[in-house]
Amino acid sequence: MGMGGPVVGTRYAIQIGVKTTIGIAVWDGRVSTTLDFARKLLVVDTDGTHEISRSEVALRDEPVRAKAKRLRDLSVHVVLCGTVSTPLAQATAQEGIEVIPYVSGPVDGVLEAYMTRQLAEPCFLQPGCRPGARTRWRRGAGCVLGERRVRGRGQRKGGE
Amino acid sequence: MVALMLPLMSDISVERAHDPILDSITEGVFTVDREWRITSFNHAAEEITGISRDRAIGKPCKDILRANICEGDCALANTMECGKPIVNRSITIVDNRGRRKPISITTALLKDADGQTIGGVETFRDLTKMEKLRKEIRRQYEVADIISRNHRMQGLFSVLPDIANSSSTVLIEGESGTGKELFAGAIHQLSPRRKKPFIAVNCGALPDTLLESELFGYKAGAFTDAKKDKPGRFALAEGGTLFLDEIGDVSPAMQVRLLRFLQERVYEPLGSVTPVHADVRIVAATHQNLTSLVKEKRFREDLYYRINIVKLEIPPLRDRLEDVPLLVDHFIDRFNTLQGKEIMGVSDDALSCLMSHDYPGNVRELENLIERAFILCRSGHIEREHLPDPVCAGFTGGAAVGNLDSFRQMEASFLMSALRQHKWNRTETARALGIHKTTLFRKIKALGLKPPRT
Repeated sequence: MGMGGPVVGTRYAIQIGVKTTIGIAVWDGRVSTTLDFARKLLVVDTDGTHEISRSEVALRDEPVRAKAKRLRDLSVHVVLCGTVSTPLAQATAQEGIEVIPYVSGPVDGVLEAYMTRQLAEPCFLQPGCRPGARTRWRRGAGCVLGERRVRGRGQRKGGE
Repeated sequence: MVALMLPLMSDISVERAHDPILDSITEGVFTVDREWRITSFNHAAEEITGISRDRAIGKPCKDILRANICEGDCALANTMECGKPIVNRSITIVDNRGRRKPISITTALLKDADGQTIGGVETFRDLTKMEKLRKEIRRQYEVADIISRNHRMQGLFSVLPDIANSSSTVLIEGESGTGKELFAGAIHQLSPRRKKPFIAVNCGALPDTLLESELFGYKAGAFTDAKKDKPGRFALAEGGTLFLDEIGDVSPAMQVRLLRFLQERVYEPLGSVTPVHADVRIVAATHQNLTSLVKEKRFREDLYYRINIVKLEIPPLRDRLEDVPLLVDHFIDRFNTLQGKEIMGVSDDALSCLMSHDYPGNVRELENLIERAFILCRSGHIEREHLPDPVCAGFTGGAAVGNLDSFRQMEASFLMSALRQHKWNRTETARALGIHKTTLFRKIKALGLKPPRT
């Protein structure tokens, strides 16, 4: 059950020694449910190992491209959030920002988990998501042929 | 019917909330306890949110519904606080597949047999189809309506907000059927002028005399049968955006008049001697290469430099074949909505054909192919026989693999084609496909491909 101990060497982990600015969509001390609708972003500057400073900025209700640009203007390298819509995920990736979705929990706990490479723990997975959701999301986002309904040989007609 | 009953019957018991009849209705229904944890979740709620009942039960409702009102303006919280139902409020959610969906919600209190409030109940309807139909009727498109995963297109998307916020004239170049009007519409929707009109004119479709009166309007008596004043497209677009499609087809005389407007922002309606000032943003488009037309003296150089302040070049579909599956999905959804059908997708063979075609008509041609397939395909999946022969004639099977009869083989053929197109450069190919280089290497290894080294 769950993914076990700290996950090393994944893209969901901070790189030790590399200055990283982390953005966490927040609400009421916890990770916000949906990045698209988040109204606050906690911006945390790190040296790759420790937190250096943090500040909270307001996010507006604006088109996805504008929101992605706002994140870029805040010099955020990685965003931790709950659900994120595909258009916003693509727009954010286009700005060179990594999005780690389906994150849930109190902000400080999530930040520490990310800094200590333990974000893959089941307790930080957004309720309603199956284990491996982030991996499947990433595979879908990077899939060469995109998301579509294709029936190959061997499948019954009218079924998926 | 449930939505109408709820405001009148505030004493819905927990047992009724779990009634299997709720699984047969098309509206999503869920109930929550006083801790905001979901206690029931019907089948339609599963379909709309993409989250199964067993994963929803016991979880905070905001983590399941994922709506724009959950944090700070929860409708259910308002109902439980005030005791008043909320009826048909439109909100937006993000489902489990990352799709934004407009929905309409209705809330009510949930009471036990003793009349004590034990939670709340919310019903919701998916408005996606209605929203699509509304957009079809009004032709109000947004950036999200332009479907593409291609690296070059994503680059265009990223600069659209900045272009939209400026008032500079924009020139969009691209082959016919690449979506120039969609881009123009998206620029307008992103701009401060979005609440004002977006007026489109196809300059190539009208002869000069008609185009002049169409654009600038005329005064009564300007010519025979001009019985009253008629505003032109410039007047109709006041405060908004005027899209001049196929501007390369405009005659030299009309080019002079357009140049005057772009220089001085004034024009005269036909039959009038009084200049009219217009606050209109111009977005022009052409399928021709205006630079060549300028060299051939068929297009005024001064006008070219007036409209070429910001230029967007839309790549043809043949240069971004990775978008074909996304577009096919989009058009299938669209025609299912318009025609009330339930076509589920395309077969492997049909998609292989579509991926091997070179699309001289670009996205419009692909749309037409799917529309034609809808006529021939009554249900299930679009098969190869539903596509015209010329489309499938170009499908030879790829160089590196044999019979393409599976998803893996089709993916292999597509990757080899993409690598060949980029002269076997893995880095360039990965960038063009919008994937990480390591992902490409992994796929090459997993599919057993052996592309030549650069």
